[in-house]
Amino acid sequence: MSLEVWAEKYRPKTLDEIINQRHVVARVKVYVEEKNIPHMLFAGPPGTGKTTMALCIARELYGDQWRANVLETNASDERGIDVIRGKIKDFARTIALGGAEYRIVILDEADALTADAQHALRRTMETYSATVRFILICNYSSKIIPPIQSRTAVFRFKALSEDDVREFIQRIVKGEKLKIDEAAVKAVIYLCEGDLRRAANLLQAAAALGDKITEEMIYEVASQARPDDVKRMLENALKGKFKEAREILYKMLVMQGLAGEDVVREIHRQIYALNIPEKAKVELVEAVGECDFRISEGADALIQLEALLARIAASKAKAG
Amino acid sequence: MWTVKYKPRSLKEVADQTEAKTRLLKWFEAWKPGSKAALLYGPPGNGKTCTVEALAREKGLDLLETNASDVRSEERIEHFLGRGVRETSLLGTRGKLILIDEIDGLQAQSDRGGVRAIVKIIRESVFPVVLTANDPWDRKLYEIRSLCELIEFKKVPVRDAVKRLAEICQREGVKADPQALKAIAKRNQGDLRGAILDLETLARGRKQITLRDLEILGKREREADIFEALRGVFKSRSALSAKLSVINVDMDPDEVFWWIEQNIVNEYERLEDLAEAYEALAKADLFRSRVIRRQNWRMQAYMMDLMTAGVSQAKREPYRKFTRYQRPERLSFFSKTMAERERLNSLLGRLASRLHCSTRKVKTEFLPYLLYLAQQDERFARRLASALEASKEDLKMLASFYG
Repeated sequence: MSLEVWAEKYRPKTLDEIINQRHVVARVKVYVEEKNIPHMLFAGPPGTGKTTMALCIARELYGDQWRANVLETNASDERGIDVIRGKIKDFARTIALGGAEYRIVILDEADALTADAQHALRRTMETYSATVRFILICNYSSKIIPPIQSRTAVFRFKALSEDDVREFIQRIVKGEKLKIDEAAVKAVIYLCEGDLRRAANLLQAAAALGDKITEEMIYEVASQARPDDVKRMLENALKGKFKEAREILYKMLVMQGLAGEDVVREIHRQIYALNIPEKAKVELVEAVGECDFRISEGADALIQLEALLARIAASKAKAG
Repeated sequence: MWTVKYKPRSLKEVADQTEAKTRLLKWFEAWKPGSKAALLYGPPGNGKTCTVEALAREKGLDLLETNASDVRSEERIEHFLGRGVRETSLLGTRGKLILIDEIDGLQAQSDRGGVRAIVKIIRESVFPVVLTANDPWDRKLYEIRSLCELIEFKKVPVRDAVKRLAEICQREGVKADPQALKAIAKRNQGDLRGAILDLETLARGRKQITLRDLEILGKREREADIFEALRGVFKSRSALSAKLSVINVDMDPDEVFWWIEQNIVNEYERLEDLAEAYEALAKADLFRSRVIRRQNWRMQAYMMDLMTAGVSQAKREPYRKFTRYQRPERLSFFSKTMAERERLNSLLGRLASRLHCSTRKVKTEFLPYLLYLAQQDERFARRLASALEASKEDLKMLASFYG
C-alpha cells in the first residue's frame, strides 16, 4: 500500500517536473541523453530537490528497473565508512540490469562523514568507478574534502523563490482538489522557508483539519506539529527551573535520540524570540556557538547542552 | 591459592546450602534422559560450582565443563559438548556430569545462537546437565529456564563463613582475631570465595590477623563504593581529596563520569553552583572526547580531574544534607528499553527508506506531521500502519516517544 505522504506522492518523477534548478537540469539532461554520467556532488539547502534529482536521473537511465540499479544509502544512518564500503562493494560486484554499463550509488547527507571517512570513500569511489557512479548529496559542499570535490561534477542547488514554492503548492492543490485561500498559501510559503518537503507536510496536515484550508489552520499545524520542546526547555531554564529544563533535554536527546546539532540549531533559531534583554541575546549566541563547536569536535551533546542550560539558569538568577 | 586449596572435596564440606544440596541430590537420583536440567542460581562465591564438582567426585563421574570465559557460540558449544553428551563412552564405564557455568554471561552478540545450542544440549543429553547463573531471570534465559529445575543457592550466612575461615586459619597456622574474621565475612556479604581471598591477602607473610589489618583491603562492593566516592566529590572542600575519592572505585572512569553527571542536580541547589559544576563536567567531556577520538589516553587524567575536583570546587559551600544518589539514568535507559528501541528503529528505518531520507530527517521533518495527521485522521493512521506493515501498538509507541 502506498504511504500516502504528499511529500513523497508529489515528488517529481522526471527531470522536467523538477521545480526550478534549471541550470542543473539542463546539464544533467545532456549526461542522461549520452547515457554517461560522471560522479556528481549535489549541494544546497534542504527540500530544494537534490535527492529528487538523483532519483529522476536513475529513472531516466534505467526506466522501470531503476530500483535494481540504485543503491540509496545515508551517511547519517550508516555508522561508519566500513558499513558503507561493505554495502558498496557488494552492490558493485553485481552487474547492472537492462544492459547499462554502470549502476548508481546515491550517498545522501554526505557531509555527515568525518574527513577520515571521506578519504576512505574517495578510495572506494576510485576502486569501483568502472561499474559504479556516485551521486553525493550534502547541504554544504565546503564540508566535502577537496579530493572528492575534484573528482565530481559539483552542482549547487539554489534556494527556491516564493514563486517556486507557489508552483509546487499549486500542483498539490490541483492534485488533491483542495480549497485553500491566498492567505493560507502565503502562510505556507512563509513557514516552509523554501523547503518543499516542509510545504507538502504543512499542507497535508492542515487538510486533515477541514475542507477549506485557512491561514489559521496552517499556523495551528505549524505550532502543534513543530514540537515546542526546545522553547519550553529554554523558558524553564530562564525561569531558573533547571531540573525541569534538564528533563526536557533528556527526553529529546536520550529518549527520542534526536541529533545534538538539530537541538542546538533550534535553540539558536529561538534566541531572538526570548524575553530577555537584547544584550543577553548576543551573549547567548556566543554560548550556543561554543556549545555547537564542542559538539562538532566530538564532545557529548547532552553534557554540553546541560552546561548551556545551567549557565542560562544561573545568569537569570544573577540578574534577579 | 586458598580458594583452590580449600575447595570442598565432598558435598558435606560445602558450607551451608543444606536445602540446595538436598534438592540437587534428589534431582540427580531421579534424573533420566529427557528430564529437566538443574539450574543453580544465586550471588557469586556461595558454592554453586564447587557443589557440582563435589557431586561429580562423590558419584565418580567425569565432569565436562564450560564457562563464561569460553566463547559460547552455537558452533563452539556443539563442538565442545555435542559429542560428549550424546555418546556413552566406549572406554570405561564412568558416567558423566555436564556443567555449563555462568550462563548469564552469554553475550547477545558474540555468543549468538548460544542459547539455542544449550537448549539442544539439555534436550538431547544422555547425561545429567547442570547450569549455573547469578541472575536466572534474565530475559535471554527464558527458554533455558523452562527446561530446568531451579535450585537457589543463598548467600552464605556470616556465622558459616566465619566457621570456614577459622578452619582455614587453623590449618594454615594463622592466629586470627574472631572479630577480624567476622568483619571479613560481613564485608563480603555472603560471598565465601571473596572472604577466603581476603583472608589469604591478609595472612600473607604474617601469622596473626587483627581487626586493624583489614584497612589494607580494597573493597569489592562496587555500589557502596561509588556512593562513598560521590560523597567525596560533592562534599569535600579540597580539590585533591575530591580527586582522590574516586581512585579506589572499581569502575571505568567513563562510568564514574555518568554517575557524577546524574547526581550533580541531586546535590547542588544554587543555580550558580549548578552552572559551574556542569561547565566543569562539559570541559571534562572535551578531554573525554579527545581520549575517544584520538586514542590519546594521556588526556584521561585531565578528564578525571575536571569531573571530580572541577565539579567539587563548583560549590560555594558544601551542602549540609543527606543526598540520595541515583544510578545513571542514561546508562540504564538503553538497557531497559532495548527491545522497544529495536522495534522503534526498525519502524524509523522503514519510514526513512520509503521517504528517501535519513532517520534523522524522519524524526525532525516528518514525524511531527505524520503523528499529528494520524491523530486527526483515523483513516490516515490505518493507511500509515498498513503501509509500514506496523501494528496499532507500533504507532502508539512511536507517538509515545515522539508525540
